[in-house]
Amino acid sequence: MKRLYLPFFLFLFMILEGVAIDVLPTTLATGHTFIVPHWVLVFLVLISMFYDRENTYFSVIYGILFGLLVDVAYTGILGVYMFSYGIGIYVVRALRNVFHANFYVALMQGTLAILIADVMINIIFHIIGMADIALENYMIYRLLPTVLANLVFLMVLYPVMAKRLLKWGSQHSIDGSGLAGR
Amino acid sequence: MQFFTKKRLFILLIGIIFVVTLIGFSLSDRDNQTTAEQFVSDMVGWAQTAVHIPVNGVTSFFSNLDDLKNTYSENRLLKEKLAQYKNLIYEVQELRKENEELRKTLDKTNSLRDFNPIQATVVARSPERWVEQVTINKGTMDGVEDNMAVITADGMIGKIQSASSFTSTVQLLTGIDQFNRISATIAREEGNDVFGLIESYDRKTHSLLFKIIDESDKEIEEGEMVVSSGLGGIFPAGLPIGKVKEIAPDQYGLTNIALVEPAANMYDIDNVIVVERVMNGDAEMENNSEEEERE
Repeated sequence: MKRLYLPFFLFLFMILEGVAIDVLPTTLATGHTFIVPHWVLVFLVLISMFYDRENTYFSVIYGILFGLLVDVAYTGILGVYMFSYGIGIYVVRALRNVFHANFYVALMQGTLAILIADVMINIIFHIIGMADIALENYMIYRLLPTVLANLVFLMVLYPVMAKRLLKWGSQHSIDGSGLAGR
Repeated sequence: MQFFTKKRLFILLIGIIFVVTLIGFSLSDRDNQTTAEQFVSDMVGWAQTAVHIPVNGVTSFFSNLDDLKNTYSENRLLKEKLAQYKNLIYEVQELRKENEELRKTLDKTNSLRDFNPIQATVVARSPERWVEQVTINKGTMDGVEDNMAVITADGMIGKIQSASSFTSTVQLLTGIDQFNRISATIAREEGNDVFGLIESYDRKTHSLLFKIIDESDKEIEEGEMVVSSGLGGIFPAGLPIGKVKEIAPDQYGLTNIALVEPAANMYDIDNVIVVERVMNGDAEMENNSEEEERE
């Protein structure tokens, strides 16, 4: 049963992303700033730091899987989020072995993952021709608010989830079962 | 570099090729979503509906509190308006009756204006802001089909982009592109209507670009109403789209472009109506061919 916790929470965050804009005041949506919730990605960063072991790649696999789900459910263009989340989480997952797992490292890793993913998403949308915005406008109106808003989410999520993920992860490795890494 | 061993580079390249193929596939002019996509959208749609109900309850509670504050002044205003509407209703009823009778004498029962409404609720909005798309809780089981127009009480908000069994996604007017033009018109009493196409949405001015195709010498005034013309073959006629805000020549100076402010608010949508046109383009063709055969 415990193994279903991660997909359940990831799915829940994905659903909540779709409702987020309705809940926020409309001035935020109509204004110039573009805030994009990347809650799935933020949770995946925590998974990569606390749930994954040296030789497991759950975060990357879930990143690709739920990236694809976001594509199907919210954009209709397959592969954009899948690729961006995959790469972003892979980099964070690789850096995991360099740093200790604490709050400040989580903030740094989160910033890095959101930066990589959001920039890639926008590059791809720009190539397709759906995003027409100058680079400096993108930085000010979308990248900065998006990173900040998602970091706030990370700060809220960290105290609730960090310990639990560590517990679930260690139980998982004691079982000795599951998708061991490549 | 530890990051780029041969194996990893290889996987990355394969990944890029795979993603480019996927993007190309989803951008290609396909009619329907794949079964897997439909299944996923339905699953997500159900979950969204389940989450939407409590979330909506909380948000509507707070907006209700806001509304309570100015109930008194609003009530007075509404009463005044109601008195005016009563007269209008009688007028409309008589006009409708007359219209029906006239149509009967002409043997023309269907009109471009007729449509069947399908009520729906918006359960989610795409978090990706480049994609202006919302999800509604009605699908092909309720009669929703691709390309149907979607309206609110104020006016048109978009069209159905893809319909799966129980949910469908709506492409909003703010996300309209060159592949999805809307045939529109400015209706006037004197009969010199202006026809044109809604071509795209301008984010800077928050307005739709209405390209006027016929004689540009007809003077267009600011504040005139733009409605769908029904000539595109999918939308019924007479759905309000917006008001003319400004008129400018296009980049070649040959035609005029009107900036149209959308009538409906695209960011505060809750209940929508999917519009099924009664007079179908295809059905009309079949009827015509039948009549020809009879002759």
